[in-house]
This record gives sequence, structure tokens and C-alpha cells, in this order.
Amino acid sequence: MSVLVASIGFGLISTSILAIAAVGFTLQFGVTNVFNLAYGSVMTGAAYAAYVANQFGVDIWVSMVLGGLFGAALSLLINRGLYTPFARHGLGLAGIIQVTLALGLILENGLQAIFGPSYHSYQMSQGPSFHFGSMVFTAVQVGIMGIALASMIGVHALLAHTKLGKAMRATAADAPLARSCGIRTEFVTDIAWLLSGLLCGIAGVILVMDLQSFTSTTGSNFLVPVLAAAVLGGIGQPYGAMLGALIIGMVSEVAAAVTLPQYKEVIAFVILLVVLLFRPRGILAEVASLKEVVA
Amino acid sequence: MAAGCIPAVNLINQAGGVLGHKLECVVADTRGDPADAVPAASQLLATQSNLVGILGPSSDEADATAPIFNDSKMTMMGDTGAASFDQNAYPYFWRLTPADDVKGTAMAIWGRQKGFSHAAAVFGNDIGSQTDVPTLVKAFTKLGGTIVSNESLALDQGDYRTEVARMLATNPDVLFIEADAQTEATFLANLKDLHGLIPVIGTSLDQAMYQAVGGAIGAQNMHDFYTTIRPLIGSLGTSTKTYDQALLASGSQVPKPDQWISDPFCPAHYDEVNLLALSMIAANSTTPSTYNSYIPQVANPGSGKTLVYSFDEGQKALAAGKQIQYVGASGFIDFNKFNNSTTGFEAFQFQLDGSTVSLGTIPIDEITQANS
Repeated sequence: MSVLVASIGFGLISTSILAIAAVGFTLQFGVTNVFNLAYGSVMTGAAYAAYVANQFGVDIWVSMVLGGLFGAALSLLINRGLYTPFARHGLGLAGIIQVTLALGLILENGLQAIFGPSYHSYQMSQGPSFHFGSMVFTAVQVGIMGIALASMIGVHALLAHTKLGKAMRATAADAPLARSCGIRTEFVTDIAWLLSGLLCGIAGVILVMDLQSFTSTTGSNFLVPVLAAAVLGGIGQPYGAMLGALIIGMVSEVAAAVTLPQYKEVIAFVILLVVLLFRPRGILAEVASLKEVVA
Repeated sequence: MAAGCIPAVNLINQAGGVLGHKLECVVADTRGDPADAVPAASQLLATQSNLVGILGPSSDEADATAPIFNDSKMTMMGDTGAASFDQNAYPYFWRLTPADDVKGTAMAIWGRQKGFSHAAAVFGNDIGSQTDVPTLVKAFTKLGGTIVSNESLALDQGDYRTEVARMLATNPDVLFIEADAQTEATFLANLKDLHGLIPVIGTSLDQAMYQAVGGAIGAQNMHDFYTTIRPLIGSLGTSTKTYDQALLASGSQVPKPDQWISDPFCPAHYDEVNLLALSMIAANSTTPSTYNSYIPQVANPGSGKTLVYSFDEGQKALAAGKQIQYVGASGFIDFNKFNNSTTGFEAFQFQLDGSTVSLGTIPIDEITQANS
């Protein structure tokens, strides 16, 4: 029983990292319709940016912010310099996915060329451990959960209570109509890439802070559960991504406690398939669509 | 593999080559899976007219490609610990790499010698890691210990906290582990955070493993808690020094050659090339179907044989009409009737700078006895 209870606590940590990454992914997809498979490599790039800062003696939490900013800048650059020109040339959805896949590999190999094939770690301490019954969290993990909570509240506040958020939702729902209503959709798209990149970068750094060791493929390895969380919740739906992250994160950990651990990811994906069988657009897709109509 | 082949070929060519021929290392990319390896093997045989021997095949594709090379009567030095070759029936397949299942027994012996009685076995769910598990469990139990937890890990997960909690619930006094570097690093970091480390017996001496695990748990903890069981390297004086010097001198062909100094497989590949070359000289032929049967003649111990520690020493002794026993940089070689040579294992401890020191050896006789 204590392992089961502990696994729920561990699930909170997994969920936190997954939620930040999945919300960043789905936010950008919702506004721009680009299924960005280079997302994992951008996460790794941000982790390396934070690593460089950390090696110069910068505190890991400040390095995390720098990593987030790096992710934001890189994402904007990628869209402006690569995806948008391809889209202007009429490349379709499948073609763009190929471009993102190729870019991911280029980034991954570029990072390997710069930093080498070996593993790296941040100069940081996990801090003291806190016990809540059977659950154990280090200070860093508590910090990670706090960042995730703050990020989710921030995204909610942006989308629900700001003009920019409403403009993003309008662009996501119907970009030509939003443009005809006077919304600067290109500016909104830039903001979406920046915000997505910021969350992507932060997720990359806190993933490594939790793993404590990383290499050029670390972010790409994490991409599959990120996509699963985003798709499970309803691709393009930030609240759905939060819920998807919670389900994937919790199910993986609890499955490892009550079944054979090597199948924990398999069980999470079986649940993903079952859910998509009954709700092909994800758990919150219909709910979110209805809300848009009512609003 | 190049870090073994290139230094050997350089020294052989400097010594005049083999029967007047210069050797060259040629790369054939099997992409690590049988589907790509089979056409790659066929292409290699069809396009390399001067092919005289093969280093490989490797674990991922040996079962698929070994029959192809064997049917073509092409001598190969298998780079696989797969148990399917323990009783190898291919006459052209030879193996210096110890079988994976033997490694499991060696781990168990070392654990029991150190007084551990309640062990957790945590291995990656890949075939290479899982091969160790049955013999580890069997030998550890036979030697009076108990495996209290036996878990397989899905590789490269974001965390292993629940798996660690499951393991800790069984109160092990030692952890046997084998997985890729990222997985081991994450698992051990989670163990450190949740409970604190317990003695760990692993199987890798790679610098990648040191960087990943040492970075995750700290170099001091890696030194204090982590022991690695690897094929016996030993300190064999001349052959090891000759290999090390040749490796370091091949910097223009082998990037960062010093990184391979402590890798146990590179000296084995170096030895494999020397064995091929010396058996060609002994057979007075570079044709595999002719020289193949001479391999044990130049490698295995025997009365009246002259010990040689390099290709140059070996060719001179053969030219003088002597019977030779090549003592390799990877250790003594003694092929059995299945063309397998296993000479024992050695325990290593990582130092704070990433180098390793030997803690002791596990003789092959002891392993055979525990495995019986």
C-alpha cells in the first residue's frame, strides 16, 4: 500500500514536467496548426543553454529562466526562418511534419557535434527531502511542482482574462475570420511561438534537473509522452493538455506500482488508445468547442 | 571496434604486413538490426574481393549474419555475448567476448564474496541486459544468497521513483544493475534521493556510464558505491602496453583515442586482428578456408609453445619454426570446442577522475563451477 501511495506522489512530479511541456506543445499547435516534432530537440537545446549558464556559475533556477528564454527565441526563429517560408510555398500539413522531423534530427545532431556524445549534469543540489506520509519529495521537486502550478495558472489567466489570450483563442478557432476582425494574427502567432518555446525551454531544463544527467537525445526521448498528453486531452486545447498530462503521469507511476514496471508506459498508451476510440478528438475537445460557441 | 582494428593494422603493416600484403580496416554498416544487416553482409561479401576476415557480427544481428558469413567460409570474430553462441556450431565463428550469461554468474560470485545476501536485480528490458538475469539469479541463490527483488526497467524513462520504491520495500543489501547509461543514471539518482545509495554492482566501464551516473549521483558516490564487473583485462605487461601505445599513436585515425584505453572490448578487437594475421602466417595463406583452423594453434596454450605478446614477436617466432601462443592485450586466450574463449572476469572501481582500478578477479574455473 505504501508503494502505491508513494507512486501517486511520484506521479505528481512526472505530471508537473509533462504538463508544462504538453501545454507548450498544444498551445502552439492550436494557434499555428504546426505539429512540431522538433519540440523535443528544442527542449534539449534549452537544457544545454541552461547548462552553459550553469557552468559559468549561474544559479540553476536563474539558468532555468535563461533556458526558457532560449527556447522562446529558438522557437520564434524556427517558425520565422523555416516553417513560415515553407508554408508560404504551399507545403501541406504532412510536408511540414516532415520538415519538423528533419529539423529535430538536425538540432539533435548539431547539439551532439557541439557538446559531444557524452552525458552532462547541472551543478546543483536536490536540497533536503520532505516526507508526506509515504510520499517523499526533494526541495527541487517541490520547486518543479510549484513552477508547473504557476505556469498552468499563468496560461489560464492569459487565455481567460487578457485581450492577447482572447486573440490567441480567436486565431486558433478561425485565423482568417480573426484577421478580418482586426486581430493581428501574425503578431499573435509570434506570441504563440514565444510562449510555447518558453514553456518548452522550461520543461527541458526541469526535466534535466529531475533526471540529473542528460545527453543530446534526452528531449526527443521525452517527446512521446508529451504528444500523448497533448493528444489525450484534445490537441490544441491547453486545459486538455493539463488533464492529459495528469492522466499519463499518474497512470504511468501507479501502473509501475501495481503491475510490472516495464509495462508502465505501455499501460498509459493503452489508456490513450481506449480514450481516443471513444473520444477521437481527445477528452476536452468537445467541451472546449462548446465553450467557444457559447463565448 | 575501430579503436582495436586500426592500431593492430598499423602495427602489422609497420612490421611488413601479412605474407607481403598490407591490411586495411574497412567499415560495413549493419545499422544494428537484422533487416539491414543481412543485405549489408551480402554486399560486403560481394564487393570486397580482398576480404580476409571480419570483426563482428555484433549482438544485434549476429544470429542473422553469422550463418551468411559461415556459408561463405569467411572467418569472423563475433562481437556478441549472446548465449545462442555459447555452444556455437559455426566453424568460422570465433569469440573472445565473454557470453552475457557468464557475466551474470560473475556478478553473483562477486556479490557473495563481498558478503551480500539479499540482492535486488534491476536490469533493462533489452535483450543484452536480460541475458544476464537467469544465471545471476541461479548462481546467487546457489551460493546461499536470496534475490529479494527482480525488476525489468523500460529504458530511458523520465523517472524510476516507483520502481525504486518497489525495490526498497524488499530491503536489499546490494543492487545488481545493467541498463543503458541514461537509465542507470536516472534510477540511481532516484535511489539516492529517496533513500540513499546502497552498494551497486554494474557491468559497464564506459566513460559514458561514468559521466551519466557520476554526474547524477556524484563522483564520490560512484567511487564509494559502484563496482563494475567486466571481462578480465589484467595487467599483462608487454601486450597491453603495446596496444595502448599503438592506440594513442593512431589519433589521426581514431578520434580521441585515450577514451578507449579502459574499454575492455577494444583490446579484444586488437587481439582479434593479430590472431587473424598470425594464423594466416602460420597457414601460409590469407584464404579464410585455409587459415581458419590455425587460429587455436596460435592462440591456445600448449606444451613447448613460445609466448608472444605482439604480432611482430609472433611472426618472428613462426618464421623461426616455433609453435606460438599469442597472449593478447585483452588477456590469455584459450578457445574451447565451441570456438569460445573466456578467461574470467574482473571487478573495477571508478576513481574520482573517471579512471578505474581493479579490485580483484573472478577466475573462469569459479564461474564454471557456480554455473554448473
